[in-house]
Amino acid sequence: MKEGIVVIGIGNPYRRDDGVGLEVLRRVEELRLPGVRCMESDGESTSLCEAWRDASLAVVVDAVRSGAAPGTLHVGTMGADAVAVHTPRGGSHALSLADALALGEVLDRLPGRLAVVGVEAGDVAQGPGLSDAVAAAVDAATEAVRAACSEAG
Amino acid sequence: MTHSTRTLSVGELSRIEGEAAMHVAVRDGLVEDVRLQIYEPPRFFEAFLRGRAHTEPPDITARICGICPVAYQMSACQAIEDACGVRVDGVLRDLRRLLYCGEWIESHALHVYMLHAPDFLGYPSAVHMARDHRAVVERGLDLKKTGNEILTAVGGRAIHPVNVRVGGFHRAPARAEIAPLRERLLRGRDAALDTVRWVSTFDFPDVHGDWELVSLRHATEYPILDGRVVSSGGVDVAVRDWESSFVESHVAHSTALHGQRPDGAHYLTGPLARYSLNFDRLPAIAQAAARAAGLGETCRNPFQSIVVRAVELLVACEEALRIVERYEPPDRPFVDVPPRAGRGHGASEAPRGTLYHRYDIDADGTVTAALIVPPTAQNQAAIEDDLRGFVAPRLHLSDEELTRQCEMAIRNHDPCISCATHFLDLVVERR
Repeated sequence: MKEGIVVIGIGNPYRRDDGVGLEVLRRVEELRLPGVRCMESDGESTSLCEAWRDASLAVVVDAVRSGAAPGTLHVGTMGADAVAVHTPRGGSHALSLADALALGEVLDRLPGRLAVVGVEAGDVAQGPGLSDAVAAAVDAATEAVRAACSEAG
Repeated sequence: MTHSTRTLSVGELSRIEGEAAMHVAVRDGLVEDVRLQIYEPPRFFEAFLRGRAHTEPPDITARICGICPVAYQMSACQAIEDACGVRVDGVLRDLRRLLYCGEWIESHALHVYMLHAPDFLGYPSAVHMARDHRAVVERGLDLKKTGNEILTAVGGRAIHPVNVRVGGFHRAPARAEIAPLRERLLRGRDAALDTVRWVSTFDFPDVHGDWELVSLRHATEYPILDGRVVSSGGVDVAVRDWESSFVESHVAHSTALHGQRPDGAHYLTGPLARYSLNFDRLPAIAQAAARAAGLGETCRNPFQSIVVRAVELLVACEEALRIVERYEPPDRPFVDVPPRAGRGHGASEAPRGTLYHRYDIDADGTVTAALIVPPTAQNQAAIEDDLRGFVAPRLHLSDEELTRQCEMAIRNHDPCISCATHFLDLVVERR
């Protein structure tokens, strides 16, 4: 029986915009949404499978690079055109969100439903703090997570 | 003169932690050049730490690596405490060692089962392997979860533990929070024994590395948290003298510094070094399992590192169990670490090898200088040597097969490029 909602923020706060997933997670935590568990993840696939395996809904929040303008929201998009990033050229770890989905499928460790709220990253150089364009998207991303959670509730 | 040249390029080297590039150049059937290219934004964290309070490095440096944050926290804490003339002992040290065991279990289970084993069983990934070996992969994930639960119980949460502070912990877990780990660790210890038996059945190429092996060595324990720095070449110094025996040098093809001996010789740190320099410090159950798996008292075959990691999984489960069974919460979760002007050194055994930190702090505790030497940066040159020796007798292989085997040879060392930097693409050039 899968129950409850988990919001998973992925990112590195010392790689500038890559930290947006964690900032949105922090904001969602402040909303204290009933029945919603918030957790940080490094995005490693087996950790993701473990985090979401018993949830009826998992909402993954991460920085994304698809070529869109920095700060662009990708809500519910999954797959090749919206790849989670940690570094300028792709995932920082060999086992990614896509791997987590594949592994979850093989081992029956997928959540009931999965939503992805991605924020297009601009600057992922070393350093703390989000770029202006991405910081400006945090409100909308937080709202997108809240909406996904309330639809499920 | 006409040269026989071939170029082989592979976009991504998978199943390592992070990314870098490997370049192998072959001319007229001879290996001309092997380079592990690492693009590290130079020393961001060392610069970022300057001007911070002496209480901050454990939390800040933990962010360098998502796989081994505890290693960074422990080396940082010990270096700062050394600068301030404070020693953390007793149950607080036990708790640190327990937390570190959790990280070893998590990291080694991930590498053995998800990153390395598919190489030996002929699968392109753990997902493919899981389709045919579901029970085995489930066992690996359950082991990893054991480590995860230790991190949550002691570190406050499973990722980037928040409970560690200079001098100890923000809060000491209650007996009731630690006790449930016992059942899980008993199961974990059985799973680790099964893991040693399982990986010992793999086929290993007959390869021998003649690197100088470097690790910590403790008076009585298998080295995890602390010890003297020793090597197969006769080094035996206190951590504070680390820099008299090891230096970092810049090479043009990499922005991560290469570790080497002062005479330029390369060395290897990590599981093979720890095991070979500390076989007599293994718990009896781990010694027996290692012998039953066919390992001698030293191991210099990098392909058998998967067996050594499995033995270390057993060490970590056994050691964690010992600490859990006798745990009584301390009266205070930390000892005071008042700042004083000085320099401090700390080293611990990250899953991938010795992690050295050095800090200078002034009288009010402000960090004025920091040096962090991660294991993968130290191992870079030795991994290149390894590849050079490995490629030469295998040039008859197809580009595809040679690349596959090179990737495997790199994964033997579980390079955590995340610590040193990001990105790994592989390029083999035959010219």
